[in-house]
Amino acid sequence: MSTAESTTSPNPGLRDRVGTVFTVRPLTVGLALFWVWVLARWTTDFVLAGVFGLDRGTPFIPAAPFLTTADTVGSLAASLGAVGAPLVWFAETLRFAADATAYLPAMAHGIWTTVLLTVFSVCFGFALALPLSVVRVYGGRWARWLALSYTELIRGTPLLAQLFVLYFATSLTQVLRGVPGIGVGFIPAQAFWVAVISFTLNSAAYQSEYLRASLESVDGGQLTAARAIGLSKLEGIRYVVVPQGLRLALPSWTNELVYLIKYSSLASFITVQELYGRTSTIANETYQYTELFVLVAILYLALVVSASALMDRVESHTATAGVGHTRQ
Amino acid sequence: MTQPLLSIDDLHKSYGSEEVLEGVGLEMDQGDVTVLIGPSGSGKSTLLRCVNRLTEINSGQIALDGQDVTGANTDVNELRKQVGMVFQDFNLFAHLTALENVTLGPKKVLGMDAADAEEAGRTHLEQVGLLEQADSYPAELSGGQKQRVGIARALAMDPELLLFDEPTSALDPELVGEVVEVMRDLAAEGITMLVVSHEMDFARSAASDIVFLDDGEIVEHGPPEQLFQNPTAERTEQFLSRLHAHEETA
Ligand SMILES: Nc1ncnc2c1ncn2[C@@H]1O[C@H](COP(=O)(O)OP(=O)(O)O)[C@@H](O)[C@H]1O
Ligand SMILES: [Mg+2]
Repeated sequence: MSTAESTTSPNPGLRDRVGTVFTVRPLTVGLALFWVWVLARWTTDFVLAGVFGLDRGTPFIPAAPFLTTADTVGSLAASLGAVGAPLVWFAETLRFAADATAYLPAMAHGIWTTVLLTVFSVCFGFALALPLSVVRVYGGRWARWLALSYTELIRGTPLLAQLFVLYFATSLTQVLRGVPGIGVGFIPAQAFWVAVISFTLNSAAYQSEYLRASLESVDGGQLTAARAIGLSKLEGIRYVVVPQGLRLALPSWTNELVYLIKYSSLASFITVQELYGRTSTIANETYQYTELFVLVAILYLALVVSASALMDRVESHTATAGVGHTRQ
Repeated sequence: MTQPLLSIDDLHKSYGSEEVLEGVGLEMDQGDVTVLIGPSGSGKSTLLRCVNRLTEINSGQIALDGQDVTGANTDVNELRKQVGMVFQDFNLFAHLTALENVTLGPKKVLGMDAADAEEAGRTHLEQVGLLEQADSYPAELSGGQKQRVGIARALAMDPELLLFDEPTSALDPELVGEVVEVMRDLAAEGITMLVVSHEMDFARSAASDIVFLDDGEIVEHGPPEQLFQNPTAERTEQFLSRLHAHEETA
């Protein structure tokens, strides 16, 4: 925190920081291509295929050209003997690309589920975490104790165990099955919602910890000044402390988002066909474990890097001189 | 005889076993500017905070405009609309611009609509000479400017009484003047002010009364000429001579 520095340079480097997202050109181009592909996939498979009665998941790029080229390169390599080793490797890469074109449509569908799972969980989790953290900092003794117990219970047990308890040991699935609309059309089936509830409860605990730390780091004089102009304690928290706390919490909140993108893969253990689930289903059918897990790692990486880049922009947009970590 | 705007009677306040205010009595009429002086730890801040109930008292009476301040049924938020406070450390809302700092109270507490609050807010910023800085964040302002925004923020609530807790002691010496000048203007406008300050300049030129507080008791109370020139109590004399010595070295 550099109050002194920001005093001398008003609104430090807001432009520059927005700029950094774009100056890393190869990354930006890569991410843009990734999202164009993802969105094109979703549009064709979820919207256009339905409207025009097409097959879902037809690859945009056919595998055949890759395979024929691979065969040509492969036979050329064979005729060259030992010198042809790089060509053999090239042929292998082409075969991998051919396989990838076949698997990627299904994986794009998995990305949709992963994104939904993460976005729902992080948003609902935040909605729970905010009151939890306010209670932790400003609540009465019992309320504070309750909030703390919840946080510790969740943080002290494995997420997978929490997921299994909700899925197998409670009647949540039955209850959700009775909810009209679930599993119809675009709306995912009940296992997905069990996962959302589980991740929400989990993420709320972690997010409330981050928020608590941020709220506590807001100077006490802020609330005193708010009270002194006649705001109630709750109003002071709402209009003065929380807005500052949220800005301070952004970096750790970005971490939470990134974790959740990856942890959402645990939903595959309760049959949710998100990105990891779909990939491992295909791998079990085709035995192409290496190729598929390299591919899925690249896709997760693209999701995580996108999330960080997005949060970077949010940070620069909400940057206020003197509030939070003003990066130079 | 009209009733005083602020009357404090036999006020006692303890923190744990430590009695910080030991039976303080004070009256202020509309338009009075009372300057409270006294050594560090004598209870000056505590006395101010009792008046707007940032601190609860143990016993005694405080009345504002004849209304009981400390009663269990008194609405503190209602009371604080009438009593503004300016802090030593400014305590400006760090995430809000100068103008937003000034309009938050009118909008959320007085229920003014945004346009009216902004118009009034600009008037108050102009009053403290900071209209140009309306859109600056606190971190972009100098100490003197921050404190002037702090004053504008308190003024925006149109209070009957303004409390100042050492408004210039966190400032670099060269920035004290601009804040004192604003306070002097307010005093001249007839705003009732209870000011904790050792700014002799301000005390001599603007105060109607000086109160010397030591060890939780009011040792001496009188008009500035009398208290500064002919203090009756020995403790006052000693304190003033230390203050002067300090002023000369500063
Ligand atoms: N919140 C508090 N809790 C405990 N003691 C306090 C508190 N606030 C002030 N005090 C004590 O009360 C005494 C008077 O403090 P204060 O009113 O701040 O004095 P001054 O403003 O004259 O320097 C000091 O001894 C201080 O330590
Ligand atoms: Mg003090």
